[in-house]
Amino acid sequence: MDSTKPLIKIDEETSDFIAEILEKGAQIFPKEELERILTCIQCGTCYGSCPSGRITAYHVRVIMRKAQLGLKEEVLKDENLWNCTTCYTCQERCPREVETTDTIRLIRNMAFEAGYVKKPHLIVSRNFIETGHSIPLRDEDKEKRKRVGVSEIPPTTLTYPEALKEVQTLVEATGFKEKVLKLLEEG
Amino acid sequence: MEKPRVGVFICECGGNISDVVDVKKVVKTASEWENVLVARHYTYMCSKPGVELIKQSIKKRELNRIVIACCTPKMHRKMFERNVGEEGINPAFLEIVNVREQCSWVHHGDNEGATQKAIDLIRGAVKKVENAVPLHPGKMPVKPAVLVIGGGIAGITAALRVAEAGIKVYLVEKEPTIGGHMAKYAKVFPTLDCAQCILTPKMGDVAENPNIELFTLAEVKAVEGVPGDFKVKIKLKPRGVDVEKCVGCGACNRVCPVETVSDFDEGLGKRKAIYIPFPQAVPSAYVIDFDSCTKCGKCAEKCPRKAINLEDTEKEIEINVGAIIVATGFKLFDLSDYGEYKYGMHPNVITALQMERLMNVAGPTSGAIVRPSDGGEVKKIGYILCAGSRDTNKGKPYCSRVCCLYATKQALMMREFMEGLDIWIHYIDLRAAGRRYEEFYKNAQIEGVKYVRGKVSEIIPDGDQLIVRAEDTMLGRPIENKYDLVVLCPPIVPSPDITKLAEILKIPLDEDGFVLEKHPKLDPVATKREGIFACGVITGPKDIQTSVSEAEGAAAKAINFLIQKEKIIEPNKAYLAVPEKCDACGECIEVCPTEAISIASEKVEINEILCNGCGACIPACPKEALDLKGLSEKQLMAEIEGILTGSESEIKILAFVENEIAYTALDLTGVARLSYPSSIRVIPVPSTSRLKLKHILYAFAKGADGIMFLEAPEHEGPFGKAHAIAEERIENYKFDIEDYDVDSIRLWFSKVYVPDWRKLVKVFETFDRMIKDEGPIEQEVRENILKQLSQETDT
Amino acid sequence: MTKYAFFLGCIAPLRYPGLEAATKRVMQHFNIELLDLNGASCCPAPGVFGSFDLWNWLVVAARNLSLGESLNADLTTICNGCYATLQEAWHILKEDPSKRRRVNEVLSKINRNYNAKTGIKHIIEVFANDIGIDKIKSSVEKSLEGLKVAVHYGCHFLKPRKIRGHGSSEKPHILEDIVTALGAEPVHYKEKLLCCGAGGGVRAGNLDAALEITARKLASVKEAGADCILNPCSFCHFQFDRGQVELRERKGIEFNIPVIHLVQLVGLAMGIDPKSLGLYENEIPPTYLDKLGLR
Ligand SMILES: Cc1cc2nc3c(=O)[nH]c(=O)nc-3n(C[C@H](O)[C@H](O)[C@H](O)COP(=O)(O)OP(=O)(O)OC[C@H]3O[C@@H](n4cnc5c(N)ncnc54)[C@H](O)[C@@H]3O)c2cc1C
Ligand code: SF4
Ligand code: SF4
Ligand code: SF4
Ligand code: SF4
Ligand code: SF4
Ligand code: SF4
Repeated sequence: MDSTKPLIKIDEETSDFIAEILEKGAQIFPKEELERILTCIQCGTCYGSCPSGRITAYHVRVIMRKAQLGLKEEVLKDENLWNCTTCYTCQERCPREVETTDTIRLIRNMAFEAGYVKKPHLIVSRNFIETGHSIPLRDEDKEKRKRVGVSEIPPTTLTYPEALKEVQTLVEATGFKEKVLKLLEEG
Repeated sequence: MEKPRVGVFICECGGNISDVVDVKKVVKTASEWENVLVARHYTYMCSKPGVELIKQSIKKRELNRIVIACCTPKMHRKMFERNVGEEGINPAFLEIVNVREQCSWVHHGDNEGATQKAIDLIRGAVKKVENAVPLHPGKMPVKPAVLVIGGGIAGITAALRVAEAGIKVYLVEKEPTIGGHMAKYAKVFPTLDCAQCILTPKMGDVAENPNIELFTLAEVKAVEGVPGDFKVKIKLKPRGVDVEKCVGCGACNRVCPVETVSDFDEGLGKRKAIYIPFPQAVPSAYVIDFDSCTKCGKCAEKCPRKAINLEDTEKEIEINVGAIIVATGFKLFDLSDYGEYKYGMHPNVITALQMERLMNVAGPTSGAIVRPSDGGEVKKIGYILCAGSRDTNKGKPYCSRVCCLYATKQALMMREFMEGLDIWIHYIDLRAAGRRYEEFYKNAQIEGVKYVRGKVSEIIPDGDQLIVRAEDTMLGRPIENKYDLVVLCPPIVPSPDITKLAEILKIPLDEDGFVLEKHPKLDPVATKREGIFACGVITGPKDIQTSVSEAEGAAAKAINFLIQKEKIIEPNKAYLAVPEKCDACGECIEVCPTEAISIASEKVEINEILCNGCGACIPACPKEALDLKGLSEKQLMAEIEGILTGSESEIKILAFVENEIAYTALDLTGVARLSYPSSIRVIPVPSTSRLKLKHILYAFAKGADGIMFLEAPEHEGPFGKAHAIAEERIENYKFDIEDYDVDSIRLWFSKVYVPDWRKLVKVFETFDRMIKDEGPIEQEVRENILKQLSQETDT
Repeated sequence: MTKYAFFLGCIAPLRYPGLEAATKRVMQHFNIELLDLNGASCCPAPGVFGSFDLWNWLVVAARNLSLGESLNADLTTICNGCYATLQEAWHILKEDPSKRRRVNEVLSKINRNYNAKTGIKHIIEVFANDIGIDKIKSSVEKSLEGLKVAVHYGCHFLKPRKIRGHGSSEKPHILEDIVTALGAEPVHYKEKLLCCGAGGGVRAGNLDAALEITARKLASVKEAGADCILNPCSFCHFQFDRGQVELRERKGIEFNIPVIHLVQLVGLAMGIDPKSLGLYENEIPPTYLDKLGLR
């Protein structure tokens, strides 16, 4: 499954990727909305709108096509998948109302699960699991807070340990924590 | 009435029937029934000797009722009707029982079941025909005149064609001139003929033709009456200029001090308050735009012909026609909601119609292509195809069908007369599926028009210029392309007046607002209402050629409709059977799909021309005052009883089947020799909305264990909303029967499309299994229902 | 008195506390009560945590929403990202009872429950609907006349419009309306609807790409001759402000376009002291204050 190799042997190299996306997506989004990916006409409105597509090798239309074709591995392992800023410009304009951005989020969920993930994203995740926030509160930030006249520590999980405990219970219950720790361990 | 003397004839169909149905047994059983004087079987009932056998029997035994068990009535009913008619038998006294498509062809391997079913069905038909009364069709004169609404190329063509046949035409156009959109174009694809050169002679013919009466600035206000005899009210807006007197000298126009935006030039040019849309306009006369006229009187002073009347007022006239043709055409969808295209936000983003005017030598710039923003030179033009078409997000779901071609046309023409003009067409799919269209496209490529595959994502203004962002999907790379002028090709949508007009004409529109065809394939220029036809873009986006073909078709249909001079009125209509019961509550009026029922002297009156015999009104009447000719209460009850009483079948399922769509589907199941359980016994009805709760309860009381309703979908069947009412009613009956201790699962409703015929087998098998699992209804329950039914009739 | 629970998120309290302070001062000015949403966490970020595990994202969002519900108050936020997550989660859980049931099964482990009775409003909605443009206009103490403002909507306040419900995402005008009400002038620039570049985990995962988008945006702002770039989102604010430093350090590109959040701009016009609005806490100094005579 090499994307530099032009030939695709449909019978050997493709799977029902869309079915997987739909199944996974139905947990969160209405299925009939996600299903519109089947009606993509490859018009390119999405990609023509994409701020990332202009400067990186990220190609949303091609991902929709690969999904239709069932080139799952190729899509999941392509690092460019992570260049979408989730700006929704494509989704807003798609004439077939394909939920492009949400589909990208779903595909990323699958990539994350399969271990195709970026180090900084794992660090953000660890931070969240440990503090309830995606970024740390540093001393300089505390100083800033004092200067503008708000409490030194914000009234969030940083102030309330029992609240942090709650968040940690949730990330454990959803299995997120386990996923992140495993990926961190694997490096 | 004379005592029924019934003859039963069963056809063997050369084994097609008799290989499965034991015809000897059928004959033997039938001959034992009361009132049956003759029972015979024969190899081919439809053959000459077969028909002769029936005719001779009628003569010899003085039969007055005939039941023929053979193939589907859709096959030979008309022929049998004619032949027994020759022996003095009224069509209402003939019943056809379908024992081929509904027995032998679908119960092969179950000879016993098929035979039993045939006997039951024939018994039902005998009972039904015993209770029939003779029916006679009526007649009405047809008014030999046609109203054509809309004077575009479609309306013009239809009007001329009808007029040529010697029939009077009233052509109603809301603008001051006929010509429609085509009058705005310089040339037309794919031949690049000069549009004016081919259109204006036709417009002239309209003006000249003594059979055509033209009303411009006119609008249809009301339509009353019935197909064949419509009374139409038309409102005429004031023109301010006497068409007969005006010689088109233009003296008025030169002195008029008011300048306003020209709608004919799509807002790109200016015109005076007194004007002529274009030199070849028909009628060839000036017109005052009273919205902007200040009534200064200068024009009237100057007019050498004293043609001007500034106090002209609105008028109303009434005409009488037999048929109507709708040809109100289209407009372009408003793209203002597409912020990404900057339409209405930047002057150099225009629509293709504006472009037609801009490139027309008779247009606002005399054919010079300049930037609307500053009059500056245009070196590069970008076309945006599918700008809102094929877009469920913000636009229209359908393809507008002509934009690929007219964009190509405009580009090609400009390449021809403007040296070095750079033209790019951004498209999704280049749709050129028409005679000579692909060649036309190729020609444009040769002429240097550039095509880029990829729908435009956004347009960014850059001073007087516009940057278009899109993907070149062939390369898979984003592009930016800078233009002086961007031309949008928006969806073609039905002329907005059609919403009101459709209400006035009582014709349904489809989900996109176009006029719904009677049949999308086989009757494309007829509307769902008799005597009303439609052509041109009002039935869907199309090019001129197709619009013209349709206009010819619509004209032919209208002529055909009028040529009969007298219209046959089929006799099977609803009527007020017990006038003293009707208290004019109006429940029936609510449900009638054709608005045939009205109230006159505190009773309902059913117009037998408007009524289409669906039967929906009959159960609606709380007083049981209505009945249906051809399938009366008495006949229906008799048929139900006839089928069920004496049946030896273990499980008995009645299926009431809508007689056109669903019945055809059922026939197809037979033709394909599919197989389903022989427990199913069909009673055809015009629509299952004909059925009362009483009929259903009676069927259960008389031995039915399950009842099915197969109904046509609302937009497919002949009776419009009656089909939808049917579903509603049956759903209610499901609740009602529980009160009589019958489980609601014993009723089954299915909407059936003709192509569903394969699925019917599944439906029958499923229901049969469900009913078998439930088992027969207990005798006690049946008796109880019967008791309650007779109590209800007593009170 | 109208009240909201103030959902802080991460960027505002931990990097740009000036935005937090400005919000409190401005809301107080308009008599809108802001409750502390004690114990709130990261929203969690829509493009980051939503990209990793949507189920986890939904559950944690539901907890944050449930905190508001127990205060019987809608949340409000000054961040498009927090808004995106919490408004979408609210929408999903309001529309689909079966998803709500499943989420509440998890929340029951921490003795919480969310019924989608309360939700979230973006601070723009508070300005536009609770306070109103007329009221804003009539409350101006220090007109911002002469100030040329490049308006940036960010992505997630408007999009996806079918869920957000604020009308066209291609022709928005609410921010321009507010800017005009304050006496300032919204300037047209080509890339007005372009994303800031940071979302979707791109800032963390591919900073160079994020900065390239930011640079494209800022160049367009510069070309239009704006005095500052206005945003309604702490994360966009962060990207534009911090991003300019990074662009300078990594690519040697200098823009020096001051960045101002909506609450800060309103605060300025209400006559609130620039310092306490946190205007001096940005990386890029607020040079426009000179123009306004407020330095
Ligand atoms: C930009 C453009 C370029 C085109 N170029 C070509 C081409 O080159 N070749 C080609 O084959 N096709 C072309 N077409 C398609 C072509 O215009 C249509 O096929 C054709 O005009 C259809 O004719 P029509 O009579 O059905 O409708 P219309 O031309 O729209 O005429 C309808 C008429 O009905 C009138 N009307 C509307 N409502 C009422 C009412 N309530 N009462 C009375 N009158 C009413 C209107 O005023 C109008 O006169 C083009 C279309 C566009 C948009
Ligand atoms: S815009 Fe929609 S239909 Fe067009 S290529 Fe992208 S996903 Fe497919
Ligand atoms: S949402 Fe992602 S794919 Fe879509 S336009 Fe924005 S960055 Fe590109
Ligand atoms: S001046 Fe009179 S005759 Fe001449 S065009 Fe005008 S209305 Fe017609
Ligand atoms: S009366 Fe009206 S149409 Fe005539 S010249 Fe004056 S403004 Fe023009
Ligand atoms: S005709 Fe061409 S441009 Fe018009 S809607 Fe169809 S595909 Fe699009
Ligand atoms: S409801 Fe049907 S049967 Fe009754 S009057 Fe109307 S068209 Fe005739």
